[in-house]
This record gives sequence, structure tokens and C-alpha cells, in this order.
Amino acid sequence: MKVGDRLAEWSLPLTPTTIVSTAIATRDWQDVHHDRDIAQAAGSKDIFMNILTSNGLVEKYVADALGHDVLIKGISIRLGAPAHPYDTLTFAGEVTAVEDGEITLKVVGSVSLGDHVIGTVRVAA
Amino acid sequence: MSAAEEARELVPADVHARITAEADRIAGYGETAETLAPYPVNQATIGTWLDAMGYDNARFREGEAPPSMAQVWTMPGLGRKRSDDDPLHSMMGVLTAEGFTAVLGTNCEQTYERYLKVGEQPRVTTALESVVGPKATGMGVGYFVTSRNTWYVDREDGTSEKVATMLFRVLKFIPRTKAQS
Repeated sequence: MKVGDRLAEWSLPLTPTTIVSTAIATRDWQDVHHDRDIAQAAGSKDIFMNILTSNGLVEKYVADALGHDVLIKGISIRLGAPAHPYDTLTFAGEVTAVEDGEITLKVVGSVSLGDHVIGTVRVAA
Repeated sequence: MSAAEEARELVPADVHARITAEADRIAGYGETAETLAPYPVNQATIGTWLDAMGYDNARFREGEAPPSMAQVWTMPGLGRKRSDDDPLHSMMGVLTAEGFTAVLGTNCEQTYERYLKVGEQPRVTTALESVVGPKATGMGVGYFVTSRNTWYVDREDGTSEKVATMLFRVLKFIPRTKAQS
């Protein structure tokens, strides 16, 4: 891979089941990730994706694109717009560096409200 | 305007002084609040995670765990509480008591030394890395609180191995009311 190489985009339609099942699968029982009444009372439009899931989906996106034998060394993410049910989370990625035995990729996952997650992923070259 | 002047503009000096003093005290604990994963790394939890993520990677059905699950293993679990000496939890309590009631995760930086294996039971420590603020943000006035988690696995010879680390940053803020925005 070389700097500037782009990963194929991937879109994930979000349903209540997506948000709830991933929150529970990441062992995150914060109520705002599964109880709409509580999420709305706290000022949110609806339940929203938890951070461990945003992280996990970045891992999946990169591994699916680069091959399942890829060795992931680190994932740094910045969180932005919330990801709610009935929205679509679309990932795009690009190689930003290839050096010292590592490939660095920038990954952005966006929803209708803007960028949900902006990530930097390091993998073994 | 200097940073100190800006701080005085946003938060009363006595409040900022209390927050800074508590941040220094809690950061002084260093790496603490060691917590063992409630259950060992196991295939059922990995499989459920893969299914939920829609991720079909054979590698993770053969004894290895996805790297970003490192944090999953040491999540406290429904109805379980974090230990009272947890530095992040303690700092959150300080800020909540001073009126910074709302919280928003902003950054999560994970480094993986290696992938965990089924049967291993990681433990995690927490340290308060920094408390920076006050800052006026789009969400409201708040402090950025950064914690550092380190995951270890114990080897059979009694030594321990660092397997993953995480810097986690949240904004702890006073929510803007509709009238202010």
C-alpha cells in the first residue's frame, strides 16, 4: 500500500437493534445506548452508539479492507456527531503514511449530522 | 487575554482552584484501581461481538480476540460498580459536585501490544493523566479530563505483560441552557 491509497467506502444502516446489540456486545450497559426514554430525557434525539462500538466498527472496516490477517497496532478515534437509529454510518479511509514497518490510515465514519468518528489506525506493514 | 484571565472569565477562581487541587491530588495516585476482568476472554463473548458488529473474521473464531475488545473484557458489567478509588470516577465526582454535570467522550486512543487469547483474564489499571480547562466549547464551559488505562495479563512465571493501553478523554461541562444558545 502507498500513501494516498483509498479504501472502498462501507455504509452501515443503523437500526435500534444495531445500536442496542453492539452496546450490549461491548458489555456497555449505559442506559442512553438502549433506553430511548432516558436518552431523550437527557436531551438526545434518540439512543446513540457507544464509543466501544465506534472503535470496533473502525477495526472491522480496516480489517475487511486490508485483509483479515492484518495486525492492528493501534486505533485512535475522535468522537463527533452522535450516531442514531434510522441514520446511516458511512466509512471512508485513506493511507496517510507508510514508514518504519507500519501503515497509518485515516478513517472517517460519517452520519447525516456530520463526522461521527475520525480515526487514525496503525497496522503492521 | 492570557489563559489565566480566560479561566477567571469562565469559572470563579475558587472553583477553579478546588478543581485544580483535586486533579493534582488524584493524579498523584498514579496507576491504581486495579480491576480484574469479571470473566476470562471467551469465545461466546467474542462471537456475540462479531455477530453484533456484522464482522465475520475466521481468525477470531479460532482462539484470538479482536484487539479493540481489550476494553470490553474489563467493563464492570450490569449492576456492578467501579471501585471508589478509580481516578477517573473520582475526578468526575469532583466536577459534578462543582456543577459540571454533563459528560461527552471526545477521544479514545488505544494501542495494542498483542491480541488477547481465549482463556486469558486481563486486569486493568487507571490513572488520571490530566485535567485541562476551563474551556468554552460548543457544548458549554467545561474541563477536558484524560485518563490512562493499562491492561495486563499475568504470565505463569508470575511476571505480568502489558497487552494494551488507552488514553480516554471526556469533556465534563455545564450544559448550555436553551436561553443561552
